[in-house]
Amino acid sequence: MNNKIVRLALVLFAICAVTAGILGVVNALTFERIDQITHQKEYEAYAAVLGSESGYTPVEFDKAAFPTVDSVNRSNDGNGHVVVSTFSGAQGSITMAVGVDNDLKCSGISIIEHSETSGLGAVAASTSAAGEAFRAQFVGQDQSIALSKAGGSVDALAGATITSSAVTDATANSIACVASLG
Amino acid sequence: MNRGKQFKEGLITNNPVLVQQIGMCATMAITTTLFNGVGMGLSVLIILTCCNVVVAALRKIIPDEIRLAIFVVVIAGFVTIVDLLLQAFIPALSAALGVFIPLIVVNCIIIGRAEAFCQKNTVKDSFFDGIFQGLGYTCVLIIMCVFREFVGSGRFGGGLIDVANGFRFTLDGTGGGIQIFPEEFGASIMNLPFGGFLTLGLLIGLMQYALKRSEKKKKEAERAAREAALKEVEE
Amino acid sequence: MLANILSISLGAILINNFIFSQFLGCCPFLGCSNKVDTAAGMGLAVVFVMGLASAICWVIDNYILIPLNLAFLETLAFILVIASLVQFVEMFLKKSVPSLYSALGIYLPLITTNCAVLGVVLLNVQNNYNFIESVVYGITGGIGFLLAIVLFASVRERTQFSDYPECFEGFPICLVSAALVAMAFMGFSGMKIF
Repeated sequence: MNNKIVRLALVLFAICAVTAGILGVVNALTFERIDQITHQKEYEAYAAVLGSESGYTPVEFDKAAFPTVDSVNRSNDGNGHVVVSTFSGAQGSITMAVGVDNDLKCSGISIIEHSETSGLGAVAASTSAAGEAFRAQFVGQDQSIALSKAGGSVDALAGATITSSAVTDATANSIACVASLG
Repeated sequence: MNRGKQFKEGLITNNPVLVQQIGMCATMAITTTLFNGVGMGLSVLIILTCCNVVVAALRKIIPDEIRLAIFVVVIAGFVTIVDLLLQAFIPALSAALGVFIPLIVVNCIIIGRAEAFCQKNTVKDSFFDGIFQGLGYTCVLIIMCVFREFVGSGRFGGGLIDVANGFRFTLDGTGGGIQIFPEEFGASIMNLPFGGFLTLGLLIGLMQYALKRSEKKKKEAERAAREAALKEVEE
Repeated sequence: MLANILSISLGAILINNFIFSQFLGCCPFLGCSNKVDTAAGMGLAVVFVMGLASAICWVIDNYILIPLNLAFLETLAFILVIASLVQFVEMFLKKSVPSLYSALGIYLPLITTNCAVLGVVLLNVQNNYNFIESVVYGITGGIGFLLAIVLFASVRERTQFSDYPECFEGFPICLVSAALVAMAFMGFSGMKIF
């Protein structure tokens, strides 16, 4: 009986070990590429909202006052900051980069990750004409940014008021965060 | 084993989703664009075939008591490999399918085939079983994607087909698809969870209708044949 | 902190309900919703296992896998943890709480392949939740599952008396009714407390 249990455990262990070994090899082969792709996506998003030739440096911010903000990165060119924040949209969380220039105006937004409904909220992140037009409305806005139905000047996406207002609120929050840096 | 029969079983008479009614979570969750559907279907096909082959090859040395644990380890291994490869080479697909790629581990189709088929059959048969069952799954995903995308946003082939600069296939999920009617007229509720449940319900209903009808026909034909035989005897 | 936990709970139970908006755990949801009693049993077992699995997997991920640079083994490790956890819970309940075992026992083995359990653990990693948030997300996600399956079982008991096309017998009519319940849950989308 004891022998049998030992044998079973050995078989299971051997199969786990082989699987883990193979996975280790695959991981070693793909790790660099995945890492590169993840960073590239971030840098592309940074560059899309606030161009900088010499890169970005993360700076300290008040996490307690701005819980949704993940990081604030100062452009090494001195033309402003990029704020990355994660907040909840209509379906799941949205990760977005917001460029804020030195006059505390939004220089652009770029959605890095989201799980919004395709065809509705997902338009906010898409490369379609409607998506580009939606994001273009954010350029030049200041901390008082709001949807048109709330008295501001940003037109919400059709059928996606929740996503639109979440993105708008997060933009305002990002600008406020940069303003608090002084 | 008869390949033609195996093919028909995987695609129609023993289709994993429509007849066995397993593996439905992902079927309903990701079928919003053709890009997701084809990507998910092919990922499952590859994982299913690999797992089938490995399980069939190891079937004589796997102790019966811990077979499920071993199946799970093998499946999780292949799923992780596919997950890593997708992240590295088709990041757009990996981002679109998100948590549903690792969740293939608990997709009943794969563990179900290992338990029901590969344990008792040769490597070659299991290989073809994986391919045909995987194709059956992919076909269902494609049908659902095409229907939901058309009704929901008036489009065909979103993410996969790009017609803006000449007809071509895109692997980075940026293709706009072929717009059949303006997106504003689409019933966008079909893109929401509601559409997933409804489409799969209608599809399985249709399948049951078709199967029942062909069964009825077969019975009628049998009865007619029996009656003819009886007549002959009487005469 | 409290606000955060409240918003995670509300999100997991209503807004991003595991079944009606994320499609996690549909197989047991459709398989075990014939009667309200069985549905409640299954739902409770899921709450229990999801809470425990979230806690244990968080510890394993943060104290073993990440320090050793083995994050790529997450899926493999988590599914093994869940499978053995379910076994242990079954043995433990059988020995020490037989009454609970007789109520939940038959559902426990089914939970291993419930994608809601593996799903919640993977989502905890994806959302970078800390220990408390993970456990809260696990338990409230389970409560969301419980709510969905009990509500749906009562709807399904009603469909027995209705007159639908013969070919919709079984799963199809379930899926169509689930679609209608999902539509009701859409009303919660985008709700915010803070």
